[in-house]
Amino acid sequence: MSTELNEPVAHPPSASPPGPSRRTFIVTTTAVGGAAVAGGLVTAQPPPGAEETAAAEAAPTSRVTLTVNRKRHTVTIDNRTSLLDLLREHLGLTGSKKGCDAGACGACTVLADGHRVNSCLTLAVRLEGAEITTIEGLADGDRLHPLQQAFIDEDAFQCGYCTPGQIMSGIGCIQEGHTGSEEEIREWMSGNICRCGCYVKIVRAVERAAGGK
Amino acid sequence: MSPQPQSAVGAPLSRVDGRLKVTGKAKYAAEHHVDTVVHAVVVDSSVGRGRITGVDTRAALAQPGVLKVISHLNAPKLAYRENGSSNNPPGERLHVFQDDKVHFHGQPVAVVLATTLEAAQHGASLVQVRYDAERPSTDLARAPAHDPVTYARGDADKAMRSAAVRLEMTYRTARTHQNAMEPHATIARWDGNRLTVWDKTQWVGGTQTELAAVFGIPRDAVRVISPFVGGAFGSGLRAWPHVTIAALAARVAGRPVKLALTRRQMYFGTGYRPAYECGVRLGSDRRGRLTAMVHDIKAETSTYEDFQEDVLAAGQMLYSMPNVRQAYRRVPLDVNTPLYMRGPGFATAAHVIESAMDELAHHLGIDPVELRRRNEPAADESTGLPFSTRRLRECYTTGAREFGWQRRNPEPRSTRDGDWLIGTGMAAGVYETVRKAAKARVRLDADGTALVEAATSDMGPGTYTSMTQVAADALGLALRNVTFRLGDTLMPPTPPHSGSMTMASVGSAVQAGSDTVRRQAIKLAVEDVRSPLHGANPGDVVVRGGRLHLKDNPARGETYQRLLSRNERTHLETVGSFEPPSGPERFSLYAYGATFAEVAVDARLGLVRVRRVLGVYDAGRIISPKLADSQALGGIVGGIGTALLEHTVTDHRDGRIVNANLADYLVPVNADVPDLRAIYLEGEDREADPIGVKGLGELVHIGVAPALTNAVFHATGRRIRELPITAEVLL
Repeated sequence: MSTELNEPVAHPPSASPPGPSRRTFIVTTTAVGGAAVAGGLVTAQPPPGAEETAAAEAAPTSRVTLTVNRKRHTVTIDNRTSLLDLLREHLGLTGSKKGCDAGACGACTVLADGHRVNSCLTLAVRLEGAEITTIEGLADGDRLHPLQQAFIDEDAFQCGYCTPGQIMSGIGCIQEGHTGSEEEIREWMSGNICRCGCYVKIVRAVERAAGGK
Repeated sequence: MSPQPQSAVGAPLSRVDGRLKVTGKAKYAAEHHVDTVVHAVVVDSSVGRGRITGVDTRAALAQPGVLKVISHLNAPKLAYRENGSSNNPPGERLHVFQDDKVHFHGQPVAVVLATTLEAAQHGASLVQVRYDAERPSTDLARAPAHDPVTYARGDADKAMRSAAVRLEMTYRTARTHQNAMEPHATIARWDGNRLTVWDKTQWVGGTQTELAAVFGIPRDAVRVISPFVGGAFGSGLRAWPHVTIAALAARVAGRPVKLALTRRQMYFGTGYRPAYECGVRLGSDRRGRLTAMVHDIKAETSTYEDFQEDVLAAGQMLYSMPNVRQAYRRVPLDVNTPLYMRGPGFATAAHVIESAMDELAHHLGIDPVELRRRNEPAADESTGLPFSTRRLRECYTTGAREFGWQRRNPEPRSTRDGDWLIGTGMAAGVYETVRKAAKARVRLDADGTALVEAATSDMGPGTYTSMTQVAADALGLALRNVTFRLGDTLMPPTPPHSGSMTMASVGSAVQAGSDTVRRQAIKLAVEDVRSPLHGANPGDVVVRGGRLHLKDNPARGETYQRLLSRNERTHLETVGSFEPPSGPERFSLYAYGATFAEVAVDARLGLVRVRRVLGVYDAGRIISPKLADSQALGGIVGGIGTALLEHTVTDHRDGRIVNANLADYLVPVNADVPDLRAIYLEGEDREADPIGVKGLGELVHIGVAPALTNAVFHATGRRIRELPITAEVLL
């Protein structure tokens, strides 16, 4: 299955985009980057004038093809789009949560090529050909993934907002083999904050699903 | 109490909404699909006080995708009528984009609308706001206070002078933020003069009245929808400025607008538990009987609103003593207004009182549990009222036994485990039993299923599940045949989902409505000549598994389905109500608890690790034990944060919060939390409400922090009177 999805139109498609084209933008930024490296500068500040130039020709887009929950998508997206925003704002997959948008809470955890990643810190355009699994892709029809079922059975959540991230992280934790003891699970599940404080039961759920593997 | 058999209530059931939550299908505020929605990103003030002298929007508007930038220079004037039905504190709420004044660092000064989130975010970064800045006043220790709220009984000062034992301490607790995992978000859509918002809120009715007041439109022109709330802990009890901004932006843009606060913006865009400075003086006799207590309490609030919470009640009723004097001062600062956070007032009061009691116990050489027993009151000494139920002694007894308290060596710094100093501590907890008027619609359909609706919320405690349990038993239906819906102002009104009042208030309304519908069905049956129950005494009929039958002769009966279809009724329906008894209270209504904790402190590094915590609670009847257990453990985890980690740090030079993110504002993570245990005493409180519950969400958090800090004292011999106790403090 495959879908093609285009960015909502930022300006009338018939009109030419203002300022230089996308190609010249890339050339400009490369030149700026090159100058910084050549000069041996380590700075986050662009040289004077660069900001205005970049602003006028912003919103470059890229086309990327990736698989999400076994479904292939080809999308044209703003280069600044995170995987999390691609999922939530463009593909309608709101199961992955935005808790901090800065990699500190783990609510956005998904599997990328089998590894758990913070999707808020992952640029979507870098995922050409990647296989993404989100919380929506775990159940087999009505049959829940064993860790989803364990979360219900152990009551390992309250508000439920961190839960998709906890479950995706838990799957990663189990696959990585970090379930040798409660202490080990706690340590390897500590990138996922649960403000309702369900940690004791999250550990039990991961333990239960790991044991049933 | 209901004559119905109770099979769902009290059973350890899993959450009825669990499947939605573990599959990612539960929709939180920012996740509702609304056609043609555009994105809004707030620009917040980079100065802590002053005036806006200019807003340059050219660079932002030059961005492809950016539609509009709205600030006080071009925003429509809003009505901002008074709203009597809200949690707005005395004073005047912030009026967004109505003038050039900046009251605090982070105040919204503009909003950028764009077709994509990326364009809106980048656009917001390009808005250049110029200020005429002044140095803000943000330091609780230095600023002058409002006139105090006071309380006195007896003559505390005289009693202090003559007390055999006198202690005087000052405790400071840091500002802490609710920091629920779901950031606040609002989607707003206008259809003509009617406004619909999908909002993160603990009170759809409160958001509705506030938007109606702000925009000067009738209340019923506003609909608020909030089926799932990703935690809130109090931050969802007001409609904050961003809710107004979303609605205002949608009106200006002529399109629906989605606005989600960033995590950083949550630190000044929503509320928090204010920082406190609490002076305490205790007087007692040599046997530890309290004679007097004096509280001098200072807390931060904003310059434009005077936020107050109940930080005084516990000092007036937790222990027996003839003389009490209290003063509670709020200090107006150039900050955004605080709001309730889990266990409001009582959590802070318990920290102060229970730390002071631990100091007294140590001073007198009396066991901390024994000291508390010696000061148990026979009645509520603040009102003279009898307690509806007060089983604090049982909490102590059960807790001490299950925790192994008697094995404790009372000497501080007496127990070591390698590099670790081991200590144990305990504290009492108390929270008022609140209940308010609520309604719930109950509809029994001819297919034998029921739909129950109330405008309440479920920020995590399990409202969906517990209300379903109450309705299922009262209607005599299997749990799977009852659906409970919430979070929409079109549903019958309920009080805020806060103060642990939801079960008592909404639960009692669900019970009343379900009882009424069941009785309607029974009446229909006993009056129906074709029914096997014809002529029976209605009081002898019960319903079980959707079948009405005689209590003493289960063979004689019929199902709801049969009864309703034969009578050509598609459904039976009513709106159930609960009202707390009118007139003065006849009882002192509180829930109680005791927390026991063991910590290990690295003797050289000052690291504190929690080893185990046990909570024992007198919370009345427990409707949903499996979920109540989770709630208690979560309350303990929150207490670990308060005691050891959480601290919102303000740079007093410019009023900026320097750790406004989850990497620098530390909350407990999995590795911080050992195995925890909660015990609820069995029983019910018949005076509190028709279903016998006292509420537990606040209670389970109250007393945790002092139990932990008392354990740190026992481990180290060092009394730290400031929260949080971080490694730096102990070094």
